Amino acid sequence: MGTRLIALVLLLVVSGCTPRPETTPAQANNATDVMFLQMGLAQIDEGDDLATLVAQRAEDPALRTLATDLGGQWREEDGTMRRWLLGWQQPLTPGPGTDHAGHGHLHTLRPADLADLKSRKSDFDRTAVGLLLSHLGNCVETSRMESAGGAYPPARALARTITERRQSQVRALLTMAASG
Amino acid sequence: MRRKFVLAVLSAGALAASLFVAVTPAQAHGYISSPPSRQANCASGAVSGCGDIVYEPQSVEAPKGSTQCNGGGSRFAVLNDNSKNWPAASVGQTVTFNWVLTARHSTSTWEYFIGGTLLASFNDGGAQPGATKQHTVSMRGFTGRQTVLARWNIADTTNAFYSCVDLNIGGGGGSTPPPTTPPTTPPTTRPPTTPPTTTPPATGTWRAGTAYAVGSTVTYNGVTYRCRQAHTAIAGWEPPNVPALWERV
Repeated sequence: MGTRLIALVLLLVVSGCTPRPETTPAQANNATDVMFLQMGLAQIDEGDDLATLVAQRAEDPALRTLATDLGGQWREEDGTMRRWLLGWQQPLTPGPGTDHAGHGHLHTLRPADLADLKSRKSDFDRTAVGLLLSHLGNCVETSRMESAGGAYPPARALARTITERRQSQVRALLTMAASG
Repeated sequence: MRRKFVLAVLSAGALAASLFVAVTPAQAHGYISSPPSRQANCASGAVSGCGDIVYEPQSVEAPKGSTQCNGGGSRFAVLNDNSKNWPAASVGQTVTFNWVLTARHSTSTWEYFIGGTLLASFNDGGAQPGATKQHTVSMRGFTGRQTVLARWNIADTTNAFYSCVDLNIGGGGGSTPPPTTPPTTPPTTRPPTTPPTTTPPATGTWRAGTAYAVGSTVTYNGVTYRCRQAHTAIAGWEPPNVPALWERV
């Protein structure tokens, strides 16, 4: 019996499902959950203008549709993320000195990228696909971080959904890049 | 019994912590999206059975200097598997490579190889790139199915990011046609087993950027060549490299 229990615990841990001792509340969250939501909000905030611009200006109708869908999904994800952080009385943005803040300037989409895209007379679609791939690649890293280390089951479920959604967009964008 | 259980949970926790480190994709930074690199073909679903690379095509990071598609690390060995049916993009002699960068590390150089031949190197001198990057590279007379190895050498770490791109060169089409009248017959006569040596110290009258008419002659490293097709020469189209353009006299 004891061995079985230990084996079960190990199995749960190895498969990425953190076992929760009975004494803690069923819906406990950890620092990874908070970071996932804060980084997720920041990435939606950065990406939203890009998605809006691409939805308006892309020549390829499939790219316009992808950007429109992405914007809609982001609005929905944004609401959920905010609600949880507010409920946990956590700030909506990562504090100074966190990993993300320290490393963030390397990973963020910049106003200059958007300005460059806006001013393009040609090559708009190709540039837009590149910027979206770059940004969505970072979004997938964030949601996978939650899948690997988050504790709050609904946040883990959201991360799974986000990974699936962004991956399907990355697949479509890479297919467009390869054919263009 | 109870104590044993606690110990097991503790060590399971330690195991979880080490797993967390191992699976946290924190080292992700860049790859070639078009023509599609091997990791891009995995992430787009064009090639299946690639493993975790589909989530992080930007993560092929390893110490500088490797000639392997996965950079020689233990991860992503599937990228080295030449028996996998990697699609090869049809291109001309000039190819434009597009990078997707998820982190903008200051960069020393970008290098492109076929086999042991350096096709091109771009020196950024430590500058920080944008979110995307584009290079136009001459295939230097290589034709047929080839694998281009690209290396993004980071300025402030010992590492590089690796992307292998499978190409069918001179097979018509092409992501970027040559800037001038391309040869109507692709230079397929050149045996792929004898790649050109790296940038020989050229002597003679041949110059990149010069427009040559049919019948005009040049010398290149002591050998005289006659132009077979009108074209404007570019680096990589040196007479010994492109028999479709130049015949030895």
